[in-house]
Amino acid sequence: MTTLPGTRRLLTTWAMLMGLTLVSMVSALLDADDWRALPLWSAGLVVAATGFKAQRLLMVYLNLRAATPAWKGTFVGLVILTLVLIGAGYLVARLTG
Amino acid sequence: MNERTLPNPGWGPLSALPGNPLMWVLILSEMLVFSAFFALYAAERVAATALFDASQRELDPLMGGLNTLVLLTSGLCVALAVEAVSAGRIRRTRQWLGASMGLGVLFGVIKGTEYAGKFAAGITPETNAFFGFYYGLTAFHFAHVLFGLALLALVTWRTSTENVETAAAFWHMVDLIWILLYPLLYLLR
Repeated sequence: MTTLPGTRRLLTTWAMLMGLTLVSMVSALLDADDWRALPLWSAGLVVAATGFKAQRLLMVYLNLRAATPAWKGTFVGLVILTLVLIGAGYLVARLTG
Repeated sequence: MNERTLPNPGWGPLSALPGNPLMWVLILSEMLVFSAFFALYAAERVAATALFDASQRELDPLMGGLNTLVLLTSGLCVALAVEAVSAGRIRRTRQWLGASMGLGVLFGVIKGTEYAGKFAAGITPETNAFFGFYYGLTAFHFAHVLFGLALLALVTWRTSTENVETAAAFWHMVDLIWILLYPLLYLLR
């Protein structure tokens, strides 16, 4: 049995995840009446918020903070790789489309 | 960390992972599978940017965002269930698991409403490549939600620390995949 995050840390993380989701939604200009491509800063903010959410979920909800740095690096590295794939695909489509 | 202080002594390289080590193998493999699909999506998007842009307009990012909030809250409930079962509070554990399942069902209702709206508008997986990915990825994820709900129901019945921890890890993986899926399909346009 490993040390669990504790109720306080879980609630703080949940509030952070909800906030970051709202930031992503606003960054993607969901309130815009007309559909248009996102400015690059906005797309960057969406990707960054997603990465931070995934990191928090791994470390706190999944309690990966109790693991060794090698395992933490493996999972966070995979999330970063996935986000690079998503971001690169988006960027190339935006710049060449 | 020496061998005796590891969360799972005797599991070799997996010893240092908290909870059920095999669940981490599953999480790693699921992340790799979804990442491969995301890479395919990215490549297709580059090849047909105008089609993907036009199709993405048909999705409702608010529904996707609402589902993200629902799933993350469900994840909190399941994490609180793990805290409760570790403290030996079985009744409270079941209450948190029940709340988590309720929110999981709500996720399914929202997703079902979204699918129904698309089908009513004549949008199917065969409509074009974008909707092939949309239905394929979200339905594959939804299959994980259904399996996760079954697991949570099972551990609500057979409540033990190990069982709840294992089901919770699966449910958090479902959360994690959705967190990555949401911006890809709904937000990045």
